[in-house]
Amino acid sequence: MVKYIPVFTEDITEQIDFFTRKLGFKVADKYIIYEDAECKAIETGNAGVYFVLVERSLIPGVKNCIILNTNDCLNDYHLLKTKGVFFFNEPQYLSIGLATYFLDTCGNKFLLLEERNYSE
Amino acid sequence: MDYSKILRNNNKISIRTSCQQHSQQYNADFNIRFVLSGNESYQIGRRSLSVYPDSFLILNKGTQYSSQVDSDIPAQLFSINFDQKFLCDFQTSHTLNDDKLLAKYRYNDNSGYEFNETIYPFRGDIRYNINHLKNHLDQGTQDELLINEYLYHCLLNYFRIYNEEFVEKAEKLNFLNSSTRIEILRRLNLAKEYLYSNYNQNVSLEELGEHACLSVNHLLRTFKQAFSLTPHQFLIQLRLQRAKSLLKTTDYPVNEVVNMIGFECSSSFIRLFKTRYKTTPLKYRQYRLSA
Repeated sequence: MVKYIPVFTEDITEQIDFFTRKLGFKVADKYIIYEDAECKAIETGNAGVYFVLVERSLIPGVKNCIILNTNDCLNDYHLLKTKGVFFFNEPQYLSIGLATYFLDTCGNKFLLLEERNYSE
Repeated sequence: MDYSKILRNNNKISIRTSCQQHSQQYNADFNIRFVLSGNESYQIGRRSLSVYPDSFLILNKGTQYSSQVDSDIPAQLFSINFDQKFLCDFQTSHTLNDDKLLAKYRYNDNSGYEFNETIYPFRGDIRYNINHLKNHLDQGTQDELLINEYLYHCLLNYFRIYNEEFVEKAEKLNFLNSSTRIEILRRLNLAKEYLYSNYNQNVSLEELGEHACLSVNHLLRTFKQAFSLTPHQFLIQLRLQRAKSLLKTTDYPVNEVVNMIGFECSSSFIRLFKTRYKTTPLKYRQYRLSA
């Protein structure tokens, strides 16, 4: 399931300005998806699908990032590992939920993300 | 569906549903016990406590206890016994990743882990992981690597909760000596579990103090330091939380829910519920039904 479309940017303020003033999108809640990278979510107009603006300097060496949402991160992590996918870390607990990542052979980063609601 | 599964590494998971049950047991391994619906009462030494779906109980290796289910609503019980070697492996790998967290746990090779045997909140990551694990087991998974992955994370989640609920709260107490802080918190946890177990009764401070082996003044002062709430505020919060759960999972009329959680007056319940959750009990139920 793809829910977040990452957009790498050199200047996040300028990028938000472009998305909101020129393209008419709205800024949604703030999410922290990468370990230390603060991301801005922008509503795309499609319900439940967001652009996620990330400063490129915060995640050096990554060409593209594909965020795969899952309902059960540990299960998918285990299944992919048994298929030989190499993960860079064990699933980590973030403020948004449970996440881990792997790279494909071309250097694209795949983030496997299980969002969790901690407010209940 | 009831089952009991012993993995090749001797970790054991069991789930059972019952209305009437009484058993006396000796705990051979470190054990985490969840009640997914209904409630279960325990007698550990002279202590009596009840576990509800918003909390879980841990029992150390070697504890003798008796448990009882006696209710019209079936209680669904989920229990995990962790083999000693699995715990040791966990400690080794976990220490390598985050030695700060484990530095404060008492461990020795002869007796194993010794945690404060009490009730902990069943929420957040541990709840998600246990629900996922139960779904896999209900579907009949035989993949032990996957099951152990969940068990590893369950321990990880528990250690974090233990750190938040015990280590960090002990540090909030204004005592110079760390062993005094730990002893006071252990007694405060007795008071807390008494509230958890008797949340629908009229609990007096004297009764609470007696249960925790603390004078009323000492109890009031230290309870607030550790939990940032007075015992009364804690009790009200717990009642509201359980009322919310009853509104979500049962069809009981609001008036009945008010009685079940120990409130005497429904208008004060509605006022407190609205203050805390920014909605009325009825609207909350309607919203949950429509969601």
